[in-house]
Amino acid sequence: MYKAVGFLCIVIGCAGWGHSLAAREKERVRHLGALSRILFRMQSDISYGKHTMPEICLMLAELNIECYSECFRRIYERTVGANGMDFPKVWEEELQKCMEPYPLREDEKRTVTELAKSLHFRDEGGQAGRIGQAGRFLEDRCRKAEETCENKSKMIHSVSILTGLLLAILLL
Amino acid sequence: MREEEILSLFPEKSRDRWREVAGQAKRLQEIRLRADMPLTIIVDDREIFVDERGELVDRPEEAARPTSEELENVLGHLCRYSAYAFAEEIRQGFLTVQGGHRVGLAGQVILDGDGRIKNMKYIRYLNIRIAHQIRGAADALMPYLFEEGLVMSTLLISPPGCGKTTMLRDLIRQVSNGTKYGPGVNVSVVDERSEIAGSYLGVSQNDVGIRTDVLDGCPKVEGMMRLIRSMAPRVLAVDEVGSLADAQALQMAGGCGCRLLATIHGGSMEEVKQKDYMRYIIEQRMFERYVMLDRRQGASRIVEIYDGEGKPCTRQ
Repeated sequence: MYKAVGFLCIVIGCAGWGHSLAAREKERVRHLGALSRILFRMQSDISYGKHTMPEICLMLAELNIECYSECFRRIYERTVGANGMDFPKVWEEELQKCMEPYPLREDEKRTVTELAKSLHFRDEGGQAGRIGQAGRFLEDRCRKAEETCENKSKMIHSVSILTGLLLAILLL
Repeated sequence: MREEEILSLFPEKSRDRWREVAGQAKRLQEIRLRADMPLTIIVDDREIFVDERGELVDRPEEAARPTSEELENVLGHLCRYSAYAFAEEIRQGFLTVQGGHRVGLAGQVILDGDGRIKNMKYIRYLNIRIAHQIRGAADALMPYLFEEGLVMSTLLISPPGCGKTTMLRDLIRQVSNGTKYGPGVNVSVVDERSEIAGSYLGVSQNDVGIRTDVLDGCPKVEGMMRLIRSMAPRVLAVDEVGSLADAQALQMAGGCGCRLLATIHGGSMEEVKQKDYMRYIIEQRMFERYVMLDRRQGASRIVEIYDGEGKPCTRQ
């Protein structure tokens, strides 16, 4: 009886671990999609609206995009008016903090956090172009991740259940 | 609040140096930053220097000398790290920041193929002109400007820094809200340089009255006709008429039944008459009042008020 319960626990545990890995991959796709949409929105706000970067952050904060709204609100509040802190520094700090728990790869996070450092263009075409470039990079990653996500998650589920079975057989 | 507004002109990391300067906010007229030159402020028409610790000193030798990098930081902060959004203003050599303060820029210009100014680089000279909203600044003027309850078309004339925009802003506020000389009417403002209303995110930061509509950042010529068509103003206000095209647009606006409030640079009536567009304005009799202003002991002063014929005006 105990052996059967132990067997089941190990298999369920491994399956759960596999499920969480697959869910992380889906979450990564979701975040990549959200971030690329944010960057394309910024690109458009620069090209057509000629809004300043802090203003764009305020507008993004009001859009309630995923879990980034609060982050963009803080960037706006810290960089304008009485606070007036250095925009690239605040952008990097806040986005780093915000994206820390998310299952994004390091280069994907860096693409976003270091973006503000390369925004010193005097014409909106250059500035919007640079942001669009980062948006396309993330969009491309998102598409690739989406394509492989289904198969990957099936594989992770299968491997995790098999691992569970193997472990249970070996241990019991 | 006023002190905070001055402090907010500078990046957070350099604000300690500006605290004492901000303390002079009510009397502060200009802050002049020049790369590697003494840091200067103008208070009540008097030149004062600022040392490294932010204390006010009388001798330029004791003053702090901001580096080119510091100037770039201040400019970046004033542009809200979005120089592209101020490209047109930078091209024209100034930008207007939150609160309606105007920052004059000088450095090296970049020309396009036709020899016109395309942009500016190596900006090493900043002149921050502090805008002051003075409620009641136009009080002394009001008795001379009304006819049958409606303001007459008025042109304010003075050299730079004598309070034209401050006077115009208060005039707009009073005409819009209504005074004992006449009821409030709809006023439309073409605020090309965001100096009158000092709009931020589209909202006026200065009190320009309850019946005032502001078209912010729009060239005067296009803005005037647009406002007449869309907002049906009784009074139309613009700052710094500076070309024949501006004068012609004013004439068209006047022809649509609007009363006009405007300003122009000039030291005297004789001086402004030398300008072709001013001669056009006088010939076309666009204005019923010309108000000459100057500055004495740190305050704006009405020198003379002329009627549409150019004769000194007596109280109506």
